[in-house]
Amino acid sequence: MNDTTLMTSRQALTGVLADELAASRDTIFLGETVRGLGAAGVASGLYDRFGPEQVIETPVSENAIFGAVLGLAIAGMRPIVEIYSADFLLAVANEVMNDIAKWRHQQTRPEQLAITIRGCMGAHGGLGPEHSQSMEPYLHHAPGLTIVVPGTPADCAGLLRAAIRSNGPVIVLEHRRVYELEGDVPQDPDFVVEIGEAEIVRSGSDMTIVAWGWMRHEAELAADELVRRGISAELIDPRTIRPMDWDAIRHSVGKTGRLLVVEESPITGSVAAEIITRVVEDAGHPFPRVARVVMADVIHPYSAAMEAEILPGADDIVAAATRLCPATDRIETRWTST
Amino acid sequence: MALPLETVTAMYRMMFVSRGFDQRCADLLAQGMQVPHFHSGVGQEALMVGAVAPLRDDDQMLYTHRGYGHLLAKGVPLHEIALDTFMKAGGTNHGFGGVMHVNRLDLGVPGREGVFGTRFGIAVGLGLASQRRRLDQVVLCFYGEAAGARGALYEAMNMAVLWRLPLVFVAENNGWSFSSRTEWLFPEGRMSRVWRGFEIPVLVIDGNDVESVYGEISTAVERARSGQGPSVVEGLTYRLDPHIWWDDAAYQPVEEIDAWRARDPLARTRQRMLEMGATVERIEAIERDARASVADAFGRVGAAIDADWPTADLHR
Repeated sequence: MNDTTLMTSRQALTGVLADELAASRDTIFLGETVRGLGAAGVASGLYDRFGPEQVIETPVSENAIFGAVLGLAIAGMRPIVEIYSADFLLAVANEVMNDIAKWRHQQTRPEQLAITIRGCMGAHGGLGPEHSQSMEPYLHHAPGLTIVVPGTPADCAGLLRAAIRSNGPVIVLEHRRVYELEGDVPQDPDFVVEIGEAEIVRSGSDMTIVAWGWMRHEAELAADELVRRGISAELIDPRTIRPMDWDAIRHSVGKTGRLLVVEESPITGSVAAEIITRVVEDAGHPFPRVARVVMADVIHPYSAAMEAEILPGADDIVAAATRLCPATDRIETRWTST
Repeated sequence: MALPLETVTAMYRMMFVSRGFDQRCADLLAQGMQVPHFHSGVGQEALMVGAVAPLRDDDQMLYTHRGYGHLLAKGVPLHEIALDTFMKAGGTNHGFGGVMHVNRLDLGVPGREGVFGTRFGIAVGLGLASQRRRLDQVVLCFYGEAAGARGALYEAMNMAVLWRLPLVFVAENNGWSFSSRTEWLFPEGRMSRVWRGFEIPVLVIDGNDVESVYGEISTAVERARSGQGPSVVEGLTYRLDPHIWWDDAAYQPVEEIDAWRARDPLARTRQRMLEMGATVERIEAIERDARASVADAFGRVGAAIDADWPTADLHR
């Protein structure tokens, strides 16, 4: 079945939740306000269709909610929990990182601890510093967690379905600006995007750009402009933050010799730092040239105008890419590589 | 509620095994050996064993880190607890969890959280699962002074009442939270006082009277099983041993310890068995058998190899 349907990411996510709830009564969706729209509209219609047995409206009690998710999974069920804003995962960092991430390894190793944690994140026009952060840098340090960040409607569908069907805990972080994007989504009810598999969004020869979530779209705009400036950028969307598709990134950087990582997060402790470190550690001489386009170590202002100044965008990517690939350098590289 | 002698006898044996294990661990510590993360439950055996004994095999039990009577009463073999304690192969968690994370999912012992408090949410989740699967399983959730002050309990209690979950919360009030008196941490020194506001059954009982514990927990369990929702039972007991091996417990007044030794649950249960018609010979035979079980567990530890489970990257 290669048929696709044009829809928004939000519709894709709701559709997958409905499919998976319909497929098994052991699949439970719970969270705050999910009897209505949920935090970002993704829960729309699910309570009416599946009722309180499968769609559980919870009090605003994140610690007990996330403990309950662990209890449901221990009992062999497949809970999907919506966090109202992914920033609030910090309120349940203990449950997520100390309990859910470690459980299968610290207790007898059950094959199945099928937990999906999903919620909205990212800056979207002045929501302030506790409702705008990208959460993958906070979370990716914890062994035992799988983290995916879909950037397109199709990836929203494919990664959420893969997360729900996974037998381990998976966190799905949905950027607020991705919800309204439209795109073709496969109609296949078993369509999944493999966790840990990057997408080569476009091929190129001069440099590698790694970007995910909303930044993938800024990077695509930048890549178009770079073509006009004579720079051929290969764009990789890892889609899964942990486990990262190191092979895809290494292979690309091995070809281009230059790596630019774009991330909507403060620079210190960013995922970009980990990506660049691994690539440099594994590279032979000559070392690849590397750079980051990230945020400074600042907090998100409530002022949308001020916020726009701190977020990485296509212009920043073009500028950094141009510095990474000066014209003389590119000619030299072509000589040495022929 | 008059219990049959066999029920009391079976509980006495488990209490005796629990005491024997704790005493053996204390002896090893006194000899300068290491017993990692051991927390003695001496003095609290009646509450641990008496509360778990009424459960069905498929009921779920979430335990505290102090004492091993909960685990024994739920059917976990003592030697598995011992092997986990000493990080040996053949335990339940391969050296990754030690005695703090003993678990047997098949016996209704899913495991224990590392930071006190998550268990209340876990209890809610297990209860939701039981409800949705129409299994009429009950979740018995022990907690001490530390966990009982964490916010997750207050959140979980609200959910348990809201959704009429099949939960029984058992507060182990042993007088102390490490070196802090329970009175310093809870109004009137009662861990269950606040729950009266939920208009659910809230009982404060003599936690050293194994028959009383068994009877009151049975009532709460049957209430939960029949869909009437949660209860709280606070058992008053006392931690006769220090918090942990490096604690000299100088803060515990000797007179206070002596007063509680006079209410030792093992001696009291033994006396009750005599009153109920058990012979001294029968009781001594049970005690010999229990001692042999402890000796066997430590024998297995001595013969076991160290746990050696792969510590490779958790992602592939």
